[in-house]
Amino acid sequence: MKDILRLSFSLAKTSFKLRNEGSYLGIMWYLLGPLALFFIILFVKGAAFPGTSAPSYPIYLLIGITGFNFFRQSITTSIQAINMNAGFIRSINNISLETFVLATILESVFSHIFEIALVAAFMIYFGVPVLGILLYPLSFLVFFPFILGAGFFCAAVGVYTTDLDNIWMIASQLLFFVTPVFYTIEPGTMLHTVNLFNPVFYFVSISRSLLIDRTFPPLWMFGVILGMGALACFVGIKIFEAKKRELAEKV
Amino acid sequence: MAGLEVKNISKTFHIQARPTEGVLSHVISAIEGRGNTWELRVLNDISFSCKPGEVFGIIGSNGCGKSTLLRIIAGIYRQDKGIVHAPGRVVYLSGFNIGLQNKLTMRENIYLVGSIMGLRKREVHRYFDDIVRFSGLKDFLDTKIYQFSSGMVARLGFSSIISFVNHKKPDVVLLDEVLGAGGDAEFKREALAKMEEFMRSGAAVIMVSHDMKPIQKYCSRVILLRDGKIAAEGRPEEVIEEYEGTAA
Repeated sequence: MKDILRLSFSLAKTSFKLRNEGSYLGIMWYLLGPLALFFIILFVKGAAFPGTSAPSYPIYLLIGITGFNFFRQSITTSIQAINMNAGFIRSINNISLETFVLATILESVFSHIFEIALVAAFMIYFGVPVLGILLYPLSFLVFFPFILGAGFFCAAVGVYTTDLDNIWMIASQLLFFVTPVFYTIEPGTMLHTVNLFNPVFYFVSISRSLLIDRTFPPLWMFGVILGMGALACFVGIKIFEAKKRELAEKV
Repeated sequence: MAGLEVKNISKTFHIQARPTEGVLSHVISAIEGRGNTWELRVLNDISFSCKPGEVFGIIGSNGCGKSTLLRIIAGIYRQDKGIVHAPGRVVYLSGFNIGLQNKLTMRENIYLVGSIMGLRKREVHRYFDDIVRFSGLKDFLDTKIYQFSSGMVARLGFSSIISFVNHKKPDVVLLDEVLGAGGDAEFKREALAKMEEFMRSGAAVIMVSHDMKPIQKYCSRVILLRDGKIAAEGRPEEVIEEYEGTAA
């Protein structure tokens, strides 16, 4: 396990470094996507509904965007984790396939760390007490098992069907609008009921409670997201392990 | 120590005849009773053994199952039937450019390849100077390797991989069309000497090659694979004669 983690970290670090190697803005590219979306939504909302936003709305929005972006990126890269490393998988016998899935998820974690630094900078700018950021790891840790399980599931299924890429592209767009990334939802509404089944909803809600309100979210929220994570890990890792020996022949 | 034993290995691949067809074509094929996959039996009841210190050759035409057999022994592919008994550490080598990244420097690439081969940073550090010296590329340590010629990349790849494989002290070595390296004539000679030294290290070595010269020179026994079966087995010159006779 230690060897798998060490190599995953090394591959993630290399891939993170190489992705924008040679570009003028370097790692800034990791931030420009979420930042552009942030300003667009802020501008459109300000123009369409002037004066309706709460003072901490920019931080509310940025936490929503970065949280969702981490989820989307982790799953998108996990789907290709095995296919993209076909050369390695067929020519080296001492690497566990789990390494490649973990490496892609870790790479998303690295870029998410930069996004969280951006959130901290905006908290300072908008006068939101920045100490709340110290509680962020708690919300990240309760969400991470879900990412891990979903990542392993998608990595295994992604080898068998190239359709998963396209399905995920459409599903993630749909999920972006269903999740309260740029709007608020009230309990008792249909959208709220739908979101009770949405793991990203819990992630962004817990993050916002901890960072903006500096209050501890209801315990049931932790229970549900941890339960979803446990289920995702059980199903995802079980399927991956069952198919692991076949994957090298399929890529 | 016991060597490598391969007993009654069989392997069938399910080949997709039309891998790009969509759902509608699948449905039509199913209604018409046409399958869209066919079975290709690559290996059929293959058995052999290789003692520690022995170099064993596998020859045969393209697609006869040589690489599949090595990948099964290495644990990359799963056999349908049969047993592989490979004691200790098994190393599968199918090239020397594994893991090299064009946009990293030579120094970074050595550490990256080391970690891919399962070495810790301090272990890579121990071999670092030897790798640089053997490659003869000391002046290019901090140069990104997309600026290297193909010969220089071959030097770097060979020097790194061979040092790291040596470090692992494998009990079974599977050489899939790799012997020596690219680069200029002098480096090729040095690389071949290094490989010979490596083959004499006491591991059971299985060598797959289309080039009959190394098979004849290094192997004590050879099998010829044809249609998934062992068509001939014995001393290199006899098996090679059989292979070249049928190939002609």
